[in-house]
Amino acid sequence: MITVNNLTKIYKTHKRNGNFFKDVFFRAYNELEALSQISFEIGNNELVGFIGPNGAGKTTTLKILSGILYPTSGKVSVMDYTPFEKKPSFLKHIAFVMGQRNQLVWDLPSRDSLILQKAIYEIPEDTYKKNVNELTQLLHCADILDKPVKTLSQGQRMKMELVVGLLHRPHIIFFDEPTIGLDIFSQEAIRDFIRQYQSETKATVILTSHYLEDVKKLAKRLIIIDKGSIVYDGSLSNIIEQYSQEKLVVVTLEKVIKKKEIDQIGVRFSYTFPKIIFKIPKARLPEKIKKITQSLPFSDLTVEDEKIEDIVKTFFRKINS
Amino acid sequence: MMKTYIKNATIFYLLSRNALKITLQGRMGVIFFLLGKIIRVLFIFAFLALVFNRTRLVKGYNFEQILVFFLTFNIIDTLGQILYRQVYRFRPLVVSGGFDMVLLKPIHPFIRILLGGVDFLDVLLVIPYFFVTFFIFAKMEISSFHMFLYLLLIINSMVMVTGFHISILALGIATTEVDHTIMIYRDLSAMGRFPMNIYKEPVRGFFTYIIPVSLMMNVPAQAILGLATPWFILFSLLISLGLLCLSLLFWDYALKRYQSWGG
Amino acid sequence: MIALVQVFKITVKEYAAYRLNFVLWRLRMFLNLLVNFFLWTAILDTRTQFGQYTKDSIISYILYANLIATFVLGSRTAEIGYHIQDGSIINLLLKPVSFFKYYFARDIADKLINLSFAVCELLVVVWIFKAPLVAPHTISVFTVFFINGVLISFFVNLMLSFIGFWTPEIWAPRFLFTVLVFFLSGSYFPLNLLPDFLYYFLLATPFPYLFYLPAQALIGHIDPGLVFFQIAFSFFWVFALYKLTVSLWKTGNKQFSFWGR
Repeated sequence: MITVNNLTKIYKTHKRNGNFFKDVFFRAYNELEALSQISFEIGNNELVGFIGPNGAGKTTTLKILSGILYPTSGKVSVMDYTPFEKKPSFLKHIAFVMGQRNQLVWDLPSRDSLILQKAIYEIPEDTYKKNVNELTQLLHCADILDKPVKTLSQGQRMKMELVVGLLHRPHIIFFDEPTIGLDIFSQEAIRDFIRQYQSETKATVILTSHYLEDVKKLAKRLIIIDKGSIVYDGSLSNIIEQYSQEKLVVVTLEKVIKKKEIDQIGVRFSYTFPKIIFKIPKARLPEKIKKITQSLPFSDLTVEDEKIEDIVKTFFRKINS
Repeated sequence: MMKTYIKNATIFYLLSRNALKITLQGRMGVIFFLLGKIIRVLFIFAFLALVFNRTRLVKGYNFEQILVFFLTFNIIDTLGQILYRQVYRFRPLVVSGGFDMVLLKPIHPFIRILLGGVDFLDVLLVIPYFFVTFFIFAKMEISSFHMFLYLLLIINSMVMVTGFHISILALGIATTEVDHTIMIYRDLSAMGRFPMNIYKEPVRGFFTYIIPVSLMMNVPAQAILGLATPWFILFSLLISLGLLCLSLLFWDYALKRYQSWGG
Repeated sequence: MIALVQVFKITVKEYAAYRLNFVLWRLRMFLNLLVNFFLWTAILDTRTQFGQYTKDSIISYILYANLIATFVLGSRTAEIGYHIQDGSIINLLLKPVSFFKYYFARDIADKLINLSFAVCELLVVVWIFKAPLVAPHTISVFTVFFINGVLISFFVNLMLSFIGFWTPEIWAPRFLFTVLVFFLSGSYFPLNLLPDFLYYFLLATPFPYLFYLPAQALIGHIDPGLVFFQIAFSFFWVFALYKLTVSLWKTGNKQFSFWGR
């Protein structure tokens, strides 16, 4: 479905040296290698999470895959098309949803944008009605279709952005930071939507996000990019297995106890009544749990994975050392 | 082929409808804008009348002839603004990265960024321009063949106008600079509101051969007043086609260099 | 005063930061001057007199009027309208500097920078295109008209931005004003070429006091029968527009706090 071979992208930026005439007439350029020789393949119906620090090349990759940017070198093929040629038949199969970009007409209700989208993608009337219904139901936003976009909240706007962006039932969807800047409730709603939509339509989804929670909840496969290269490509469970050395044991107490009593367990913890969170190395887990159950007055005890953020931090520490 | 044509026409219609809806949201703007433009044209009329009140000929042109040049300029300039108003809004689109979304659509980007914001206020202005122009032609007893030729040459000028606007868009993609380029284009083309003969060399040569303002704004008027040879007309047709082709090449080149700002 | 000098310096630095924008802006102004200059040269191609003007005096009028207009109309006040719209005007109101003085300092910086370029442009026209330019006359009368012109322009510009207190469409009135200024203030031709009744009517409006009368004084075309009336009227407009600006500012501020932005 998607094949990328030795893809390289170099950005040129204009170097200013403060001299007006030099800057205008004899421009000097800085070259920045955003992607260097990356290769990967993505199959049908996959949901892949792209993560990496700012400027690692995630968005650049998506923009090349969708045909916005021209690759400096390397081969890119998406559904057997060369994206940069921007053949209408190719563009009709894809969608690119960006959290901070707006394609809705700001001064008018979203419905005007929808009608335009319908014409652009040549969607038949009955399909159009059906899709609008389904999408607005999934996102619970049928009531705001006729409000001017400028009066919507950011979360509402993102929902309308999704309705407009996915109206043509694309087979490949690129989500670039779909939850950025949203409150936690809207984040949750968008996340649920993506999961549900993907399982219903069998679309191939590539997702980038700063919130690793998005990736953890949605993607089975993870591609980590750093400084323009792929440093990890594999399953999410695998990376948790490999790089998570600690588990979190969350204990809910029945009554207030002194810190001293917790100290005797002998591991790091944080305590705000009624919760204690222990960070326990995997190897010592059974032993420590036993000790906890024997010595603390608890009403509930759960074992959780380390936060994905911490695992990725460990991962980056390891590859950089 | 036919299907694509209908599709593009539908999208153009929808974009224009949206543009009209947005225009009508600002009522004071509508009134002041129209008023300002009408006043500007009336003032230049009054100024020309004032000049010709004291002199019969300027550089060999009489009042009616100068008016034909001035009206021709206004028709071409206004048609350009009606059709290509969206170019004036291109910079925010590029800087915000909204242009990415335009590129992703299965339609030609020009429908959106060149033609996507028809200016209905200027439509109200171009109608009287045509009316007055043809009234003057009728007074000058100009044959219907010449009037037809005039309309054809206006279309030829519009090809040139299109080429300039596409070049401005391409430059905008490559440098994110649009606002000044478009205004300088406007000021340069405004040099053509009077016949080029009023300028001295090297200004005149510059605006005929280097930046063909003279060919864009003067040729239809020259033709109808019998001041252009067939060869000169043919020359202007070739130049406008060449300009359009060059601008399209520049556009393709700029797209390859596009770096998608704001992301 | 020291604060105002700082405001002045910062404004100059802002221009240095956006110098390409500024150079392109000057290019546009230069093109407009060229059109006007060539038009009059063409009109006077085969004659030496136009109405009460000689060829030299009318060309000089066009060039001087352009120069004076550059200084008189140069202004940063347009940005106030946008500051009112997005609420950032608050930042300025909280500064311990008089709002009016702050913007006057900014405007003077703007005017001087533009003027220095406009002088060079004028010299280019004089040298390359051999434009005749008469030596300045009646400096004293010119000075009075000139200072009053600067003040009239300042107050009108402020008021055009204060409209932002009442409507978001601030660009529209300013556009109309700019169109009117170009013709009614005499950028294209000296206003006394108009039929008498029109000319006298215009003298009662603020428009001729911006740069038409200063330019007339410089080329030595003062009308002895009218000059006292004109000076009196220019003072009247300065005073009236000042009062109007202050009252608009005060009511606007009250309006503003209602929005609670």
